[in-house]
Amino acid sequence: MTNAEDKAVVRLEGIHKWFGDHHVLKGIDLELDAGEVQVVVGPSGSGKSTLLRCVNMLEIPSQGHVWFEGRDITDIRTDLNEVRTRMGIVFQAFNLFPHMTALRNITVALQKVLKVDATEARDRAMEQLARVGLAGKADAYPGALSGGQQQRVAIARALAMRPTLMLFDEVTSALDPELVGEVLDVMRQLAEEGMTMMVVTHEMGFAREVGTWLIFTDGGLAVERGKPKEVFANPQTERLQQFLAKVL
Amino acid sequence: MAVTAEAATAVWESPPDVMGPSAPVPRAIFWSGIAALVSVGGGVVAMQLYYAIQGGTLTPACVQGGISPELFGARGVCNIVTALNAAMTSFFLYLGIALGAVAIVAGSVLYSRQDTRRKKEHCITGAILGVQAVVVGAFLLWFRASDPFTFAFQFLNFERIQDYWGGFLRAAANTVILAFAGELGGIVVGLVLSLLALSKRRAVRAPARAYINFFRGTPLIWQLSFFYFGLNLGLGLGLSGYVSAIVIFTLNTGAYAAEVFRAGIQSLERGQMEAARSLGMSYPSALRYAIVPQAVRRVIPPLMNEFVILIKDTSLIIVLGLTQTQLDLYNYAREGFADTFNATFFVVAALGYLAVTLPLIRLVNMAEKKLRSGLVSIAGAPT
Repeated sequence: MTNAEDKAVVRLEGIHKWFGDHHVLKGIDLELDAGEVQVVVGPSGSGKSTLLRCVNMLEIPSQGHVWFEGRDITDIRTDLNEVRTRMGIVFQAFNLFPHMTALRNITVALQKVLKVDATEARDRAMEQLARVGLAGKADAYPGALSGGQQQRVAIARALAMRPTLMLFDEVTSALDPELVGEVLDVMRQLAEEGMTMMVVTHEMGFAREVGTWLIFTDGGLAVERGKPKEVFANPQTERLQQFLAKVL
Repeated sequence: MAVTAEAATAVWESPPDVMGPSAPVPRAIFWSGIAALVSVGGGVVAMQLYYAIQGGTLTPACVQGGISPELFGARGVCNIVTALNAAMTSFFLYLGIALGAVAIVAGSVLYSRQDTRRKKEHCITGAILGVQAVVVGAFLLWFRASDPFTFAFQFLNFERIQDYWGGFLRAAANTVILAFAGELGGIVVGLVLSLLALSKRRAVRAPARAYINFFRGTPLIWQLSFFYFGLNLGLGLGLSGYVSAIVIFTLNTGAYAAEVFRAGIQSLERGQMEAARSLGMSYPSALRYAIVPQAVRRVIPPLMNEFVILIKDTSLIIVLGLTQTQLDLYNYAREGFADTFNATFFVVAALGYLAVTLPLIRLVNMAEKKLRSGLVSIAGAPT
């Protein structure tokens, strides 16, 4: 199923997710055009990470459709491995491969998945490491890097695949406060360069400044949505007012 | 960061000495403990070497003790006992026990009064070494007062086995070959089985589990005899006992290795698989590049454990009716014992096992350290 008319990079239609009897997502719709940044905020357990993981099908939605580049990737016939090469994700826990150097972390998928030859893979990896300011750490193992550096390598790893969409799942939550800035700077720069991004975050300043659109999730529903500045300035629901009072 | 590090270096040339200085008395206690152990252990060994090299004749005492000249290896056995009973050996034993006793008493009395850690350490270490020297010394005194002739003749009659050294070497080689082939094959079988056992599909999991449970649930000795007699002879596969042994060791070790690999793979964070899959890797690729290399590093110690067990289990090939040249260390020693009724064969077999396992353990520890160097846990990652 494809739809060439669809200019949205990603569109979610009525996404539901059950974990056993637990109804985590209760029908979420979302649409994101090229170059836009969708931020997702909400209290813990509101389903925002699950929502993000449904986008690249790490969690299979129990109901609903995910359209990516005009294709329904929830269709069972979709080659998800191929789709995921164009949809990068960065995790809260970094998830670098600890037995590989920073450089190898990036080149392994380029060579083994995209079949890029070794020289070009290395060039692409070095280019991305330079972009995140870590060209000098190419040969370092993850264990020898700080949390902020590891997370930047993880971003470089995703970017080297040249994705059309980047997903960020609370990428600064596991970092020491002093290391948060360096990661947000990379993401901010990426947004300015026009990358389409979906960002689950607790960093309200970042959400307000960088987000094109914001949704506030609570209890598996998108309770409020709109432009971040407007939503923050004028929260409609009591739930969001309480949330903002706590986090701001 | 670099600035702070430099500043720190400037202030602290080296870490502070938390142990503090020692003093003559604690130091004397420490060295007295060492001297006691050296006197008891080193003295006895030196005396044994002296008599073994000097090679005296059969003494009247030996003949009186039951080592008659016509006995096989009588002279060597006599030398061992003579060395043990020598006046010089007595001197070393009593000296060691005395020094040890001094270290024990002084060390334990003065321990609580010391005012630095090093002084306390010297006192307590001296006392511990003293205890060891007294125990060993007292045992040797008791031993030589009992019946050293019979013991030495039965267990330390190395002349008895001089015609068997070549056989022992071959037996050791057999032990290593059987265990090594079984372990290597078992690792391959185990890795494949563990991946099957981890499948999310029950249809894939079930046969793997059945295999693993069967081979873990029946005795190895049963598997050896059943495969060799039941299947090999019964179905006419025509495999030799030796090859059958390797096949069964492989299949059996595979079941245990599968559980080891499964635990290793399951110990990895779920995020590792997710990261690999989200980069577009297929499930097999993710296993190959991200999961298995990490799991293998983690399971080296338990696999090593399996290997050591297998080295010892090679002795179970006794049920296969092998020829003399195919025997392992233990069974070769049994044959030797059956020929001569002398237990020295078992002593040599034990030495043979240790000669194989000790370097192996050391080698694997080194390999493990090297492999782990690239695997420092991810700093800052939530656990």
